[in-house]
Amino acid sequence: MINTVIRFGLIFILLVLLQVLLFNNIQFSGYINPYVYIMFILLLPIEIPAWLLLVLSFTIGIIIDFFSGSPGIHTFATVLSGFVRPYIIRVVSPRDGYESGSEPSMGNYGFKWFFSYTLLLVLIHHTSLFYLEVFRFTDFFRTLLRVILSTIFSVTFILLIEYYRRGKN
Amino acid sequence: MRNLLNFLTRYNNLIVFLVLEGIALYLISTGNSYQNAKLLNAVRGMTHGIEQRIYNTSSYLSLHQINERLAEENVALKNRMEQMIRKENPVFSSVQDSVHKQQYQHSSGEVINNSINRQKNFFTINKGELQGIKVDMAVLSPDGIAGVIVGCSKNFSIAMSVLNIDFKLSARIKSNGYYGSLGWDGRDYRYVILSEIPQHVNVSVGDTVEATGFSAIFPEGVIVGTVSDYEKVGGDFYKIRVSLMTDFKKLHFVDVIGNMKKSEQLELEKLSK
Repeated sequence: MINTVIRFGLIFILLVLLQVLLFNNIQFSGYINPYVYIMFILLLPIEIPAWLLLVLSFTIGIIIDFFSGSPGIHTFATVLSGFVRPYIIRVVSPRDGYESGSEPSMGNYGFKWFFSYTLLLVLIHHTSLFYLEVFRFTDFFRTLLRVILSTIFSVTFILLIEYYRRGKN
Repeated sequence: MRNLLNFLTRYNNLIVFLVLEGIALYLISTGNSYQNAKLLNAVRGMTHGIEQRIYNTSSYLSLHQINERLAEENVALKNRMEQMIRKENPVFSSVQDSVHKQQYQHSSGEVINNSINRQKNFFTINKGELQGIKVDMAVLSPDGIAGVIVGCSKNFSIAMSVLNIDFKLSARIKSNGYYGSLGWDGRDYRYVILSEIPQHVNVSVGDTVEATGFSAIFPEGVIVGTVSDYEKVGGDFYKIRVSLMTDFKKLHFVDVIGNMKKSEQLELEKLSK
């Protein structure tokens, strides 16, 4: 139990640092802003109580907001992601169901499962984030393009990190 | 009572969700507008230490380029000083009349945090109220306009970058004096859009675009950029793409300019309304 808490604490710090120091400074033409920190919400244990998931989502969102100087935007998107995560887990569930006490990882449930799980959650997070950032519906399709491109890059980076993590375990 | 408890246990997650989203929306509505940058400031205060450290490292790595730019600027300033002295000396003696003559007050600053990849970009300057920076002062790079101060703490200020979809500026084409409204469309960090220029005006690629000084924030004649291309929009107006002089990707040293006669101008203008 304590072990799990420490491990996720480390993942939390690592992802925040990675996002703030590296990915926030990557600027491909203004259309592509990968947000990899969302991986923290992805990796939390499947059976985590819903309220705890929401509180943790809120925490990582508000910390990213502090560092990006954009109060509330990331917080809103991460809390929404934390809220829909149980539903997504139910939707993409593998045929044999989930083992009790397991974590959603590529090693446990395979590449295809992890990919669709990541894609859905990142898409919801990025859609709410980007539309909230612009806060207007003019240029609807340009924002949509930003959502799609950024989603592709975020998912790619998350899969790469997950692949590396699996290799190490 | 029991019904209420049942209700709460049944929907407690939804309630937590709504409360947390409520806090997020509250933060967005109070902290994100550019008139009200106070919360942004308080929040930024906590992360300044880290930002300063990141900035120290990155500025050390680019010392060479910075030196070159400073040297260039020095040469330009020396030349200008030379011209001034030559002009004034034969007839007049120079008088330091700070009350009536000086309209703009310059102070230098360094950008310690900047972004160009969002729709609403801000940057942070390492000077604040104690160094005489105030809200609504203009920020210029050595090449052209950069932004407007929107919030100050004791030692830091936050400026809204030109690359912010809320940024609006009155600008004109230097060659013919027609003015319009200038703003960023959120696409490319190198270009802004000048609109409301009537179609009978002769516009050509390469024309200089400068600030008008109507807003009493930017001094008149500050360079914005050059016309890169233009198209007709609707019946009457051009939509002109202006290539910015300031390279926001390497914004580092900036001038903060306060208009000492701003309140006088604004008060007078208020009378006529």
